[in-house]
Amino acid sequence: MGKILIISPEKCTDCRTCVMACSFSKTKSFNPQNAAVTVYNYEEAALSVPIMCMQCEDPSCMKVCAVNAISKSEDGTVLVDPKKCIGCKLCISACPFGNMSFNVKKKTMVKCDLCNGDPMCAKLCPSGAIQFKEPTSAELSKKRKVADKFKELFEEVNK
Amino acid sequence: MFGYVGKILRVNLTDKTIKVEPLDEKEAKLYLGARGLGTKMFMNEVDPKVEPLSSENKIIFLTGPLTGTLATSAGRYEVVCKAPLTGTIGASNSGGHFGPELKFAGYDGIIFEGKSEEPVYLYIKDDKVELRDASKFWGKTVYETTDEILKETDENARVACIGPAGEKLVLYAGVMNDKHRAAGRSGLGAVMGFKKLKAVVVKGSGSVEVAEPDKFIEACIKARETLKAHPVTGAGLAAYGTQILVNILNQTGALPTRNWKDGGLFDHAEDISGEALTEKYLVKNKGCFGCNIGCGRITRIPDGKFKSFGEGPEYEAGWSLGADCGVKDLDAVCKANFICNEYGFDPITLGSTIACALELYSKGIITKEDTGMELKFGDPEVVVELAMKTALREGFGNEIAEGSYRLASKYGHPELSMSVKKQEMPAYDGRAIQGIGLEYATSNRGGCHVRGYMISPEVLGLPQKLDPLVTTDKPQWLKIFQDLTATVDSSGICLFTTFAIGLPEISAMIRTGLGWDCSDEEILRIGERVWNLEKIFNLEAGFTKEDDKLPKRLTSEPLPEGPAKGKVSRVPEMLIEYYKIRGWDENGVPTKEKLEELSIE
Amino acid sequence: MEVKFFAYIREYTNCKETKIAYEETVEKLLLKLSDIYGNQFRSKIFSGNELSKEIIVLVNGRHIVHLDGIKTKLENDDVVSIFPVVAGG
Repeated sequence: MGKILIISPEKCTDCRTCVMACSFSKTKSFNPQNAAVTVYNYEEAALSVPIMCMQCEDPSCMKVCAVNAISKSEDGTVLVDPKKCIGCKLCISACPFGNMSFNVKKKTMVKCDLCNGDPMCAKLCPSGAIQFKEPTSAELSKKRKVADKFKELFEEVNK
Repeated sequence: MFGYVGKILRVNLTDKTIKVEPLDEKEAKLYLGARGLGTKMFMNEVDPKVEPLSSENKIIFLTGPLTGTLATSAGRYEVVCKAPLTGTIGASNSGGHFGPELKFAGYDGIIFEGKSEEPVYLYIKDDKVELRDASKFWGKTVYETTDEILKETDENARVACIGPAGEKLVLYAGVMNDKHRAAGRSGLGAVMGFKKLKAVVVKGSGSVEVAEPDKFIEACIKARETLKAHPVTGAGLAAYGTQILVNILNQTGALPTRNWKDGGLFDHAEDISGEALTEKYLVKNKGCFGCNIGCGRITRIPDGKFKSFGEGPEYEAGWSLGADCGVKDLDAVCKANFICNEYGFDPITLGSTIACALELYSKGIITKEDTGMELKFGDPEVVVELAMKTALREGFGNEIAEGSYRLASKYGHPELSMSVKKQEMPAYDGRAIQGIGLEYATSNRGGCHVRGYMISPEVLGLPQKLDPLVTTDKPQWLKIFQDLTATVDSSGICLFTTFAIGLPEISAMIRTGLGWDCSDEEILRIGERVWNLEKIFNLEAGFTKEDDKLPKRLTSEPLPEGPAKGKVSRVPEMLIEYYKIRGWDENGVPTKEKLEELSIE
Repeated sequence: MEVKFFAYIREYTNCKETKIAYEETVEKLLLKLSDIYGNQFRSKIFSGNELSKEIIVLVNGRHIVHLDGIKTKLENDDVVSIFPVVAGG
């Protein structure tokens, strides 16, 4: 299996460097709205969780795209073709994790594309909360568990 | 513009008008931003003789040009006004996320003038800026205010606010942002309280642009790698926080104890040390915006009478509530620190003022009749109880709320206030460490350690080891530290980065970020310019050479024990050399030549 | 002689302080401690034959750089403190 982004929230210091790195990688400027990474902070639990596209095996966004602008590349990255994208935003509703967003100024989807194989968030994360590596089977199953938990949570929220 | 976003908000709290003005680029070139430019902007508009708690005083929030970028630890902003505690220029620097959010909203800073009759808060959402009624938040703590105001505005916004201490004009009330970060010293929060400005809430969706993105990010990444590789910024601060200093200061015989009367050794230093904090109460570390150091402490006291949860304490806060009061109960120290964050006032001044009261009481100068309670060194409950009383100006807390100088003077013993220009000196004994003593005497905002952090070379050996017991070369070193710190404080990055990086790395980020063509020396000169400007303000406010002086205890009571036994502070001899090196006359007044050299009118 | 350990040095010694038989110099003392506490301790304290730049050693509260470095002579009742470089502000 190739490299994926592994999140270890217990290491996250809530510094938002990942958000700025992502924004910079996409636009060469600093703007949290242009980042495909979001950080959720749970103060009581002293926990922060950076979250970005899970590059799902069975992407909901790809399923609903009316113009086939979304595809899964060979290394598993889910990509949006800006030339085909019509900005209907159905994919935003489809993503169970809220990891899709739309840049109103540029009229493009904002989504993690792993920075062409060298994700900047992982490169700059100071504490190892985001790492880009080949997962161990323990890490993979943990990632799956976290994804399931989030799916539950978002379904609750959306009810 | 690059780095800067080019706009300043001017909010008049009297007639409730809001204007947008352009940032003055010419002044930005000379004073950079945050502390430097904020001070210049303040001095352009306010008479140095103004009464701090008046509607003529203004309060300025200003970010730096690097704030909001990926420069190392670039989350900082400054709050500037005339300080209630000292009457000097008051400028306090804070981290967290508020500063960057202001930039994303499209503003480098905000000038508040006048005074509102009813409590208000400012809500900024990009170009929608409005003053709103804050009556329902008046009286609420920093935590409550932040949570509730976010519900009323935007869950993802950032908040800077005052707590009850600021509302009640505690002379050292602070401006708190992101709940636990503070523009903490000198009472700037009381100015907000006087103006009935409860909070500033900001949400932004814009960008901060840099001049040469690829070169900029390269400079930032290189600097970040240097920070990561350094033992202090890469490991020590994240693991132990600043509280780690307790033991080394104690071993050096420089940990002021019991209002500085018991020399530089505290027999229970271990109990209130960083090691103890990490072992017993640390939940995890935390980082401000874009910071790869992560020195913040999330702390929890799980049980007992001081059960509580919050952030901190930092070294100086832990010292003042601990060793300075003779207290060894770490849970009480943490609890008192949390009270300071929650109610919004400076723990350093609080602890030192309590310590002063404890000494006054122990000498019978004040009694239970004055205080309403027994006061003695080493009693943890006294510290926690007085913290609460002071926050609300209740009972004897009303007197503690004035700071140690006014307290001690009221009872006829100003010499028992361990302060300079009425601001209490933090946690490093100037008798054992000569250079920091000189910093206390000369700092433009009174007893302050951080603006000329001589502890770095004199105790830690960074960038090189100086002998703390000698005075040789200390004035030269201090000038460099003071100037570099002023530059850093004006740029928007955090001072802690300078444990590992220096002028070259900082200048590289400034040049490539702002698109400036200037040398490292010119960037350092900005700091010198800022320092001289602040000095001018203080002189015009009425301060003289007589105020560049330490409490008598430090110059005439030798340390009774420890590695620095028998030493006193030799600030008076160093002061003459310091003035000379600064290019000031024998009264500490910047000469005409110096001002011309620095392009200060 | 009394030797005190601070911050993460304690992780290598599993104690805050210890009493040790007299050693003539700081260098000899540090070598002896390395024998007792093992290679991880040694690798933190020494950088080759020199004292690591990440370590601060105080003898009776005085930094050895102001005495004779690791060649500083010791007395039987000296207190030696070993710190990693720390920070604050």
